[in-house]
Amino acid sequence: MGHEEELDAYRSQLLESLNSRPTIRGVSDPIQVYVNERRVGELEGAGIGATLQVQCVDHIETIQLRAEDGTLLGGLTAPECGYRTDRVRISADTVELSVHNMAQGGTLSALFTPAPSFWSRAWKSIADVTDRVVARRPAPAYGMRMVAFTQALLAIAVVGLVTDRITTGRTLVRTPSPVVQTATLSPAPVADMARFEQQLDELARMQAKVDDALGSQQKGVVQLQQAMVKLSSTQESFESNVLTVREEIEKRLETVGRETDRQTRQMASRGRVEQEQLEAAIQNLTADNHRLSKEVVSLEEYNQALKSKLQTAVASASKAVDPSPERLLKMADSLQATQQMPFLFWVTFSDGTSQESIDKWVHEMQGHKGAVSEGWQEVRILPPAVPADRFLEQVRGEKIVKAARISQ
Amino acid sequence: MAVTRMQNTLSKSHVMADRMATVNRLEEVVSTSDEFDQVVSQALPILLDRATGYTKRFLRETGQWSDDIEHEKFALRWGSEYLERFLVCGRSEVPCRPLFLFDSLVAKQHSRPEPFCYHPDLLRPLGRFLDGLVARAVVSRDALIALYHHSYGWGAGDVIAVTGLNGLESQRIYKNFRRWRESGWQRTIDEVGLTKAELAELGNQQQRHRQRFNSDAERLIRVAQAHYRKSEPDHYPCLSRSQWGDMFTQGYGCDYRIWHLALCLDCMQTAWGLGSSGSLTGEKPRLELQVRP
Repeated sequence: MGHEEELDAYRSQLLESLNSRPTIRGVSDPIQVYVNERRVGELEGAGIGATLQVQCVDHIETIQLRAEDGTLLGGLTAPECGYRTDRVRISADTVELSVHNMAQGGTLSALFTPAPSFWSRAWKSIADVTDRVVARRPAPAYGMRMVAFTQALLAIAVVGLVTDRITTGRTLVRTPSPVVQTATLSPAPVADMARFEQQLDELARMQAKVDDALGSQQKGVVQLQQAMVKLSSTQESFESNVLTVREEIEKRLETVGRETDRQTRQMASRGRVEQEQLEAAIQNLTADNHRLSKEVVSLEEYNQALKSKLQTAVASASKAVDPSPERLLKMADSLQATQQMPFLFWVTFSDGTSQESIDKWVHEMQGHKGAVSEGWQEVRILPPAVPADRFLEQVRGEKIVKAARISQ
Repeated sequence: MAVTRMQNTLSKSHVMADRMATVNRLEEVVSTSDEFDQVVSQALPILLDRATGYTKRFLRETGQWSDDIEHEKFALRWGSEYLERFLVCGRSEVPCRPLFLFDSLVAKQHSRPEPFCYHPDLLRPLGRFLDGLVARAVVSRDALIALYHHSYGWGAGDVIAVTGLNGLESQRIYKNFRRWRESGWQRTIDEVGLTKAELAELGNQQQRHRQRFNSDAERLIRVAQAHYRKSEPDHYPCLSRSQWGDMFTQGYGCDYRIWHLALCLDCMQTAWGLGSSGSLTGEKPRLELQVRP
């Protein structure tokens, strides 16, 4: 086979497989769901109302439904922003796809609805009719339930009777030959047939109504689904926000705790250091105090010794000069008192001596000016080291002093 | 002779006219899904050629093209892949102009980084077989489970033991194997365009130079796995043995185990023996490529 022929054969094969696309999905096989060509989960093929909710960080571009063997069963191209819903028919089953793309990411909701069986459809119709009848009659809840139950029983009985008739009819059909069957047809079955036809018409009308109701119900389900998706996304974002806030608080608490701990530790260590320093200072002070008290004691002792020595000396001196030691003591005391008394004398100054010069001289003498009487200025100074007469002579020798005397 | 030539010319011009009409119809607006199906189903050859042409152009512009049948088949295969997606997803885009929608779909695919797994060695029969197998495993669970058989020669029981599956999942594995044997394998071979002669040649190579064959296969399957593993869920990365151990002992991540271990030779080595409760105590598995299901 040449290359051209091989290529043509391959092309034809591909086109054929695209045309046929056989699906061999089993009744209970799950349906694989792909978002942006990545597998995100599966829908239980046997489950009634199996759902799959997917939340993507990225925008959803495509959704694909695949069988276990990889056959592409259906899909949807998502809008860049906003909602899109689609119903994908897979044999008799249906998958409701609802996609919502937002500014940040998108959500997908897939709802698998298996094809309803004959009995479930009949039961739903009966239930629907019952509901309608009940809805038309406003009555207390208990009464409504009773009526509904009675009607359901009645409906089951009718269905049972119809089934019985059909079964009987079939039995009748099987046994005799067609000719005999035609011959044995009586007016009564004809009437029955008319009644059946009427009932069938009614059933058809009811079926149409049921279909309408189912359609509106499915629309409602889709809307509910969308609301659920929106709600779940809001809830998830809310939860994530709460989580973030909680983590932030925990982080902050942790940081604050760590900081407080560090500060406490620092303060404690600083306190310990200060305490140690204080203790050391107290110890030093105690030692100093102890030393000082010892010194005081020793000084007192020394003072005492000096006193006793002085007394001894005074006593011995008094023995030598004056037999009365008391008098000597008095003399010593008076001498001490005299030494402490200020020396007072009076001076007159040369003519033209300024007050400033006088003040300066008094200050140099370390004295204080006293009263002024008849041109004589009283001056008080500390007792001079030399005798009074000599002191006065020295004073009279001063340039500004005219005369000096002790008494006024 | 002249009559025949005239007939050929007439036939060609008739075909051209038909083609033009179909293209014109594809350029018009379709309003319903049924109308879309009708218009597109009549134009499948045109759309396939168009997608193939775009893919060739992409390969040429990216320096990956050679004028040989392997590259032609590669372009056809991806053209067909794009067309299949268009047939299914385009219905939800009505009202639209199908031709422009198709062009935009192909352009979007080619604007992605590494839109397909290209490697010169993957265009040879062994490479095509492995590329087709791994590419199929990404979209088909049957192929994914069969990958265990083709890589290591295991049966359903071995797969169940290695991946540590429970009873319910086990039943599914048997079904996957059965479907793969019945139709999946043949379909994959058809999709990658492997002829009977090429398959026979692969079988011969395997018998004559088993070691070299497996060594080549391991090198190529690693290339393919690294590319196609990107289609796994984002949260299925490679794990350490202790992490795999936790997953196996605690019984969670069933999908994770099945999907990742089939598509990662290294993790299979890492997680070897964890799922079997000690029953698989032999040497760690090496790639032993099986061509037949």
